[in-house]
Amino acid sequence: MGLNLETQIGKIQLKNPVLVASGTFGHAKEFAPLIDLKKLGGIVTKTITLKPRLGNPPTRIVETPSGMLNAIGLQNPGVEKFIEEKLPYFRKLKIPIIVSAMAYTVEEFAEVVKILDREDGIDGFELNLSCPNVSYGTKSGSARMFAHDEKMIEEVVGAVRKVTSKTLIAKLGPDVSDIARMAMAAERGGADAVALINTFTAMVIDLKTRKPVLANKTGGLSGPCVRPIAVRMTWDVCRQTKIPVMGIGGIMNANDALEFLVAGAKAIQVGTANFVNPNASIEILEGIQAFMKKNKISNIQEIIGSVKNT
Amino acid sequence: MFKERCVIEENKKIAPGHYSIRLRSSKISKKSKPGQFVQVLCSDSYEPLLPRPFSFLDVDKNSFSFLYQVVGKGTKILSALKRGDEVSILGPLGQGFSLKNAKSIVLVGGGVGIPPLYHWAKECVTKLKVSAKNIHVFLGARDKSLLLCEKEFKKLGVHFYAATDNGSRGHKGFVTELVGEHLDRTTSVGGKNSAPDVVRMYTCGPTPMLKAVSALAKKYDVSCEVSVEVPMACGFGACLGCAIKVKKDDGHRFAIACCEGPVFQAKEILWD
Repeated sequence: MGLNLETQIGKIQLKNPVLVASGTFGHAKEFAPLIDLKKLGGIVTKTITLKPRLGNPPTRIVETPSGMLNAIGLQNPGVEKFIEEKLPYFRKLKIPIIVSAMAYTVEEFAEVVKILDREDGIDGFELNLSCPNVSYGTKSGSARMFAHDEKMIEEVVGAVRKVTSKTLIAKLGPDVSDIARMAMAAERGGADAVALINTFTAMVIDLKTRKPVLANKTGGLSGPCVRPIAVRMTWDVCRQTKIPVMGIGGIMNANDALEFLVAGAKAIQVGTANFVNPNASIEILEGIQAFMKKNKISNIQEIIGSVKNT
Repeated sequence: MFKERCVIEENKKIAPGHYSIRLRSSKISKKSKPGQFVQVLCSDSYEPLLPRPFSFLDVDKNSFSFLYQVVGKGTKILSALKRGDEVSILGPLGQGFSLKNAKSIVLVGGGVGIPPLYHWAKECVTKLKVSAKNIHVFLGARDKSLLLCEKEFKKLGVHFYAATDNGSRGHKGFVTELVGEHLDRTTSVGGKNSAPDVVRMYTCGPTPMLKAVSALAKKYDVSCEVSVEVPMACGFGACLGCAIKVKKDDGHRFAIACCEGPVFQAKEILWD
């Protein structure tokens, strides 16, 4: 039985719904000795900023029950070096490449994407509106990140929309009261899709020193411990928006991925699992194919959004 | 770098709370170098979630071994595994030790930092043809029972010096005190040696010890390689979690210990 795993995010036609999440896949090269990168539905790059960032001082990570906290601080070479040193490798892979971009102001967001938009080999942009580990100088004043404020989301997506016609994805964070409202704000701003969720802002304290374990004090919680919340949020957003959703959050195996697809996600991103098992994304893809064969499902679209609400 | 399910050939207690495990893999053992490490997935159930990094202790044609101390959930699970069980291994990873012109080699180890130094000493003696007489090994521990690899080092025929906190073996106090005396005797900076010796140091162990050894290296103008231990997630440069502050021009940057290290030149590291 021929299986059709094709799915679409904005203008990007994906041969399968399994992508790898930003910040969990290095610059792809790291994984080349271990997996066949060409099999992936697509890659979301490590977040790129206008200027290089050194990242946060150590300690940057700590393990938690069925999860981990990170506060890397968006260590990256900056947009110019990314184009010069990292992009050529991505181009050669001939699979959809989505560049994750982040900035501190609306204007800077537009600037970074404008620079990247001129380059060949980029299929779309994922706006990282929700990194919990950097400080922002937003005009919104009280918001800790763009993703916390509907108006800011709409404004920043709108500003970036003006500088690119490529697929634009807003990556949302879970530390909000109603994530569907945030997704609708991205939709109003002109986003082609939303990706959710980013990590939860969280903290671990060392009882010996009574100090937070991470030098940044707080970090982003990820891993299987967040998955049920991410599934719920995916389901919530899918019911209330028209644009496609990319589901992310603690996906470790094919069954986890399928939950997101059934909830309505058009594609999924594998994140923390890449650290635990570098081959996780490929195993997830194969597991989805096995599930389809076993259940005599020839088209992945039959799975997507098939959740029964009654 | 390979990802493999490896069969356990042996997993035995060698000291209080410490175990030595040997795993079968010709691929990993063939490529491994002293100072490099493997990532070990102690459980397939995502709890604990992350793999644990361990430096090689010894390698032969078809197997490799490492030492570990039971400190938490992961190592506890590992300690209960038996011969014939399988574990997921990723490796070899990172950059190991390097040997440049050296007339005399000084190894300073503490705790579970000792095994990679044994692997290195063995490589120096057996493959790199360094005379055992030119290798000086300094080990520190709380108690003599924790002077890991003592017998194995002695078998190599190297000079062996020990320090214990409780005085149960060798010098009572810090191992770095012994190292300081040794450098005083054998380096030109120490001034008591008419023929300046080319000394090269290697150290692995608790961070306070690494800092003290780095300070000695600076004081006696001796080159020194340090194998650092930092919290790590992926082990191959994807997560950027294992940052270590190193010099860059006039400032600093965060090197990624799993792929740029874990072995660094002591003079590069900016200790806080």
